[in-house]
Amino acid sequence: MDKASILQELNAVFIEVLDNDKIVLTRETSAADIGEWDSLTHIQLVVGAEKHFGIRFLSREIQRWKNIGDMIDSISNKIN
Amino acid sequence: MLFTSWPVLLFFTGFFFLYWLVAGRDLRLQNLLILPGSYLFYCWWEWRFLFLLIGASALNYYLGIAIDKTDNIKYRRLLVGVGVAQGLWMLFFYKYMNLHHGLIPLGISFYTFRTLSYLLDIDKGKIRPTRDWVIFFSYVAFFPCIISGPIDRPGMMIPQLEKKRVFDYGQVSDGMRQLLWGLFKKIVVADSCAMFTTDIFNHYQVLNASDLLLGAFLYTIQIYADFSGYSDMAIGASGLLGLKVTRNFNFPFFAQNIADFWRRWHISLTSWMTDYVFTPLTIYFRNFGKMGLIAAIIINFAAIGIWHGPNWTYVLFGILHGCYFIPLILRGTMNKRTKKGTFIKIAGTFLLVMFTFIIFRADTLSQAFGYYRKLFSITIFSGITITEKISAGVVLGAALLMIVPEWLQRDKQHALQIDRIRWFPVRAFIYFCLIVLILGFGTLKHSDFIYIKF
Repeated sequence: MDKASILQELNAVFIEVLDNDKIVLTRETSAADIGEWDSLTHIQLVVGAEKHFGIRFLSREIQRWKNIGDMIDSISNKIN
Repeated sequence: MLFTSWPVLLFFTGFFFLYWLVAGRDLRLQNLLILPGSYLFYCWWEWRFLFLLIGASALNYYLGIAIDKTDNIKYRRLLVGVGVAQGLWMLFFYKYMNLHHGLIPLGISFYTFRTLSYLLDIDKGKIRPTRDWVIFFSYVAFFPCIISGPIDRPGMMIPQLEKKRVFDYGQVSDGMRQLLWGLFKKIVVADSCAMFTTDIFNHYQVLNASDLLLGAFLYTIQIYADFSGYSDMAIGASGLLGLKVTRNFNFPFFAQNIADFWRRWHISLTSWMTDYVFTPLTIYFRNFGKMGLIAAIIINFAAIGIWHGPNWTYVLFGILHGCYFIPLILRGTMNKRTKKGTFIKIAGTFLLVMFTFIIFRADTLSQAFGYYRKLFSITIFSGITITEKISAGVVLGAALLMIVPEWLQRDKQHALQIDRIRWFPVRAFIYFCLIVLILGFGTLKHSDFIYIKF
């Protein structure tokens, strides 16, 4: 799967978990840009992405992400 | 020696003029003054553990550079592991094994948390290590904050030490006012509360429940006035040197619930714990939903308790606070900012917190339980019997003199940011009254800052 489609699918995960269909993600989006994205919903987002893509991230990996781009790279490394 | 004493004031005044008049022109000179100044200050209190401080600084300085240099993940993990093990071992060895019979290296809990976050942030890629050892050693030992915090993060503090500080009248006068407010909270409020609480907690068996209620209330006021007063002084003193130190208290007594309270109380410790303990735990427990969150918060708060020292009272204090979060987690409102505050919520949160500070203050668990048994007894209606050199009314008045201005100024950094009072003589009169009160109460018996022993 290419990174553009990962972004699209990830966007759907965010919309569902955060219950806000106005969310439009880019590679540069970070927690500062989305009001509902705090440390607790972050965990739900991680779990949502893991379920959706059928993968499991490493703890250290999750903590190193700075924005959506980093998250997509992690997903891409795991499914491709 | 007391932190609020004339020698310390003289030392700091001298340092202030040397810093701006002699070293003010040159960045390198400013830092070269901060480091020996900090070590001198440290030795003044306790010279025996200076080498421990220097050793820990040196080790973490080199580890930081080595972690940044290597691409080998296993080697990198080893280096981080060495740093973390050193920090935790030092805490364990000096604080928890208590071989030196109560003699704990000054500030060890505070500066160890600084070195730990430095290495962990480098490992996470959040910061790059500094290549200037004077700056790193100063970051670890910075004298206004080494004794009791605030625990500054490297990402906030080190970049400031890398830039030349320029004298800014606004920053310096604000620092001065925060220092004055801190001094007032410590000497007028905390120390006069201490006269009562020391006696009440030492003799709770023979006192009425009314006295014990007064003791619990005054101790809650005392620990806030003491610790936030210290923090105000540290932040103010740093401001006088042109450095912005992280905020430690945001008027916690006006919190709407317990999560709100911990966002406002000892912020530099709780945010540290959130980043390096709570968040990793929530990630680790992420498939267990709310149960995972509850487990993470209870472990996190037990750790906050233990951080204070090897006593079951602190553990229980932490666990109790962790349990206070359970309703918020179950309702999913832990991270929600309450929009409309009510007085009932503020008072309720205060009572919940006051209840736990009895355990915090008690020397042993059995003393704490004894205190509770006595507190919830029929003598609650017998009236206050305890007497001290000053009356309980004066102490409660002093507490009001602290709480009312803080309520009015609750959207500011500290209570003395009173620029909206346009007329200077009024502001000057307020400062004058505070100084008179400080000098007046200054003749009473003083106790050292509570958090110095942590």
